[in-house]
This record gives sequence, structure tokens and C-alpha cells, in this order.
Amino acid sequence: MTPAVEIRNLRKIYSGGVEALKGIDLTVPVGEFFGLLGPNGAGKTTTIGITTGLVRITDGSVKVMGNDVVRQFRQARRHIGLAAQELSFDWFFAIEDLMMLQAGYYGVSRKVARQNTDRLLDTFGLSGKKRAKPRELSGGMKRRFQIARSLVHDPEILILDEPTAGVDVELRHRLWEYLTRLNNEGKTVILTTHYIEEAEKLCERVAIIDHGKIIAMGSPSELVSGMDKDGMSLTVEGWNQDAAEALVGYRFDFTDGHLRVYTTRPELRLTEIINRITSAGVAVLDVRICHSTLEDMFIELTGHGIDE
Amino acid sequence: MNSTGFFTFVGRELRRFLSLYNQTIIPGLLTTVLYIVVFGKSLGSRIGDIKGIDYMSYIIPGLAMMNVITNAYSNSAASLFQAKLMRFLDDILITPLSGLEISMGYILGGAVRGLLNGALVLLVGLLLTDMSLAHPFLGLVFLLVVGWAFGAAGLLVGIFAKTWDNIQLLVNFFLMPLVFLGGVFYSIDMLPPVWRSISLFNPLYYMINGLRYSVLDVADSSPWWSLFISVSAAVLFTLIGAFLFARGYRIKD
Repeated sequence: MTPAVEIRNLRKIYSGGVEALKGIDLTVPVGEFFGLLGPNGAGKTTTIGITTGLVRITDGSVKVMGNDVVRQFRQARRHIGLAAQELSFDWFFAIEDLMMLQAGYYGVSRKVARQNTDRLLDTFGLSGKKRAKPRELSGGMKRRFQIARSLVHDPEILILDEPTAGVDVELRHRLWEYLTRLNNEGKTVILTTHYIEEAEKLCERVAIIDHGKIIAMGSPSELVSGMDKDGMSLTVEGWNQDAAEALVGYRFDFTDGHLRVYTTRPELRLTEIINRITSAGVAVLDVRICHSTLEDMFIELTGHGIDE
Repeated sequence: MNSTGFFTFVGRELRRFLSLYNQTIIPGLLTTVLYIVVFGKSLGSRIGDIKGIDYMSYIIPGLAMMNVITNAYSNSAASLFQAKLMRFLDDILITPLSGLEISMGYILGGAVRGLLNGALVLLVGLLLTDMSLAHPFLGLVFLLVVGWAFGAAGLLVGIFAKTWDNIQLLVNFFLMPLVFLGGVFYSIDMLPPVWRSISLFNPLYYMINGLRYSVLDVADSSPWWSLFISVSAAVLFTLIGAFLFARGYRIKD
């Protein structure tokens, strides 16, 4: 089956000489919820820009539903709806007119454009504002309008560049719900984010991108499974050699009253481990189950946090 | 060709300037009426007829062409630059419209605004003076071709511009001087031989001369040569502007 997006050896060197992409390979199957995760400046927006025709390719190729984004740009772009990172709109027109115009640019007939506009404005709770100009909308409304407009030509693929950057928690969760619903309805969703929680919660697969390279790719659970960081963290009193011997068979470390025990499925081993150390005369003051996260994975791979 | 997309974009360009009529149409008309009153009424009686045409009627085609040139240029330059500056040009660039289609949309928007402004000035002239239209079809061709040429010139400047000043600078220091020295208010036959010869190097003189012939049936030089110069300017600016836009020069990273 033709993938939704297929990127091969994609390189981008900007005119100032900055090498933003250093040979990216990526395949996103139809219907997948895919995340591009990385810090600011990693190359996420450049990848999206090339895919949508906003940035010129230096080398390599990008295909959208089998159509090359340069040679078959018309066919490729018809399949994509883009909600860009920046909230910038044509300020001359009301949002209803902007929806109609955008649909028209994609070749959608006026009748279908009218139906899609009414439906999407309603879905995103903007029906009451349809004669408002974008500058009259609040930040959250602008973000909703931007996503609504990206869907007005009913694309198979929805690309969202940092859609929840700067939005409040409530709107963030509503957008997550809506994006999940769109994906369940069959749309391929590609999301760039530097919120690890967002990628873990929404994406079936993520690619971690840093300094213009994909350094890891897979489902969030696959990526963290090899991390070997699952376990439990205990605050203890009276640590002694007998307790250390009681933990034979487990990997652990102890520092300043904090015991960290590494084990898979820590919930099932918790009672056993507490019994072993309390039998050796150690008092347990606090217990916390720890699972590996994409953030651990990111730090291990890059040597820095995602916000650094 | 994405014809629905193209005509939607042209419609957007037309709606933009029509919705701003108090900035894009009324000022040109008001200035024309002032020129007719101040120059035509007060100075015209002292100057008398030029080539058998009363002065007030004589200046109308030049004023019309001045409006065509400045409006066509300003429309495409401002529209494109605004879209670049406010970053909503990206909303158009991501669609299945080609660079050529988008650039033609900008040029057409400028050409229509120029044509409309020029036609309205001629209408004012018809109402306020004894002028009549000698060659209306040729006049329409001149309005459209010159509007197109400066719509394309505006596109070109919109591509290169980094600030609003860049756009206005060209109007103040290039277009307006050339328009005024192109014989809007006089016949170049009234100038000393040296200045007359220099005027013949001013392309805007030919555009004014062509429309004056179309309206009043008088000309300082061949109207067909004027048409050739106007069409050549339109073709040249269109080719350069459309080529640069399609290549994404200063448009795409």
C-alpha cells in the first residue's frame, strides 16, 4: 500500500549555510498517528515545510500518497492539510470567508466548500464568530480556527506543527481528543511537538529528531522498552549490608537514603522487595514506581533534555 | 491548471482592493478632480489650447494614465508584501496553485485596479470637460496593457521589498517623476529640442501619448510605437516577476 508520506535521504542547507536536515528517511503509513519529536531547531519545521511546499529541497525526495512534492506538487498538496506553528491569517476577511477562500484555492466547488465550512466552524465551536476577523478571536479560537481551516478541503493527511504550543491545558486536552477522533476516522495525522507527554499520549509511532537527524524511531513503548530504567524508588532508613545482600538478583543503587531498584513490571515485584529489605531491618518511608519515559530516552540519546 | 483555485485567488485580490475603496479608488478620483479644478480651470485659460484641444481636456488622459500606473503598481506590490510580512502568504503557497498562477493572480489584481481607476478618471473627464472618446477600444487596450505592466512591476518590487519604504521609495523617486516628465500636463513638442529628445527615452511618455491619442486623437509621436513600448514593458515585467516568483526567490526558504 502506498504510504501517506515517504521521505528519502532528505537534506536541507539554507542559504546562510546552516544544514537543517542531514539525510532523513521516514515512512508514515496511511492512517497512522505519527509524531516528530525534538527540541526547537532540530529540523521538524523544515521537514514539514519541505513536505508542504514552503521550503525548497536541497537533496533527496518526499512523496505524499505516492506523489513527488516537487514534480507532482498539485496532487501531493491536495492530500495535505497544514496547521502551521504560527497563527498568521489574511486579515482582510472574516473567518468564514477565509475558509471558503482556502477551499477554493484547493479547487473545491463553492457548494462543497460551503458545507465543509459550516460543518467545521460548528465542530470547532466557531459558528457564532463566523463574521469575525481573525484579529477579533482569542488565542484559543485562533488555534481552533487554524485547524478547522486546514481541514476545509477534506485532506487525507493532517499535518500539525506544534499545535498545542502556548495553549492552555483545557484546550490542549480538547485538541488531543479531536485529533484522536480524526485519526480514528481514518485520517493520517502527523504532529510535530516538543512536548514529550503529547507524543506519548497521542502517537502510534514517533521519530526523535535532533540536529537534523532522526536518532530513533518506533512506538513510544518500543522506544522506552530498551531503556532498562523501569523500577522503583524507595526512601529508606537504616540501610545495611544485610539489606544489600537480601536484594541479590536485582540491579540496584543506594545514595543518601534513596534506594533505586531496577526491574521490569515493578508493580508486581514491589511487595517482595519491601519484604526483603524490611526483613533486614530497614524501614521504608516512601515508595515510588518508576517507568522509563521518552524523555529518559531522549536524554540518553542526545545527552540533553528536549527543552535545552 | 487549477482553474478554480486561480479564479478564487483573483477574486480574493479584487475583493481586497474593492473592500478598501476609500484607499484604493476614492483618493485617485479626488486628486483628479483637484487637478482638473486647479490646473485646468485656473491655469488652463492662460495656457490656451494645445494642438487644438482645450487644456482641461488635454490633461485628462495623462491623469488617467498616472492613476493606472500608480494604482496597478501599488496593488500588487502592497498585496504581496503584506502577505509576506504578515506570513499569510504561506496559506497560499501550500495549496495546489503554481507559482505562475499565484503571480498571475497578483498581476491581474493590479491590472484590474489600474484599469478601473483609469476608466473612472476618464469618466470624470467626460462629465467635467468637453472631451469625447476618439478610439475607445484602443483606449481600453492601453489602460489594460499599462495596468498589466505596472501590476507586474509591483509584483517584482513586492518580491524584492524588505520594508514598506522600499515600495513607496520607488513611487516617490521613480514613478512619479517619470509620469510628470512624461507629458501629463504638456505636449513634449512644447519643450526645447534637447528636453524633447530626453523625454523620448522615458517609457512612461509613450504610455501617456498612446492613451492621449486614443481619447483625443492627438499625439506627439506614433501611437503604435507607444503600444509596442507598453506591450514590451508588460511582457518584460511579467516574465521577470513570474519567473522569480515561481522559483520562490525571496518567497520560499
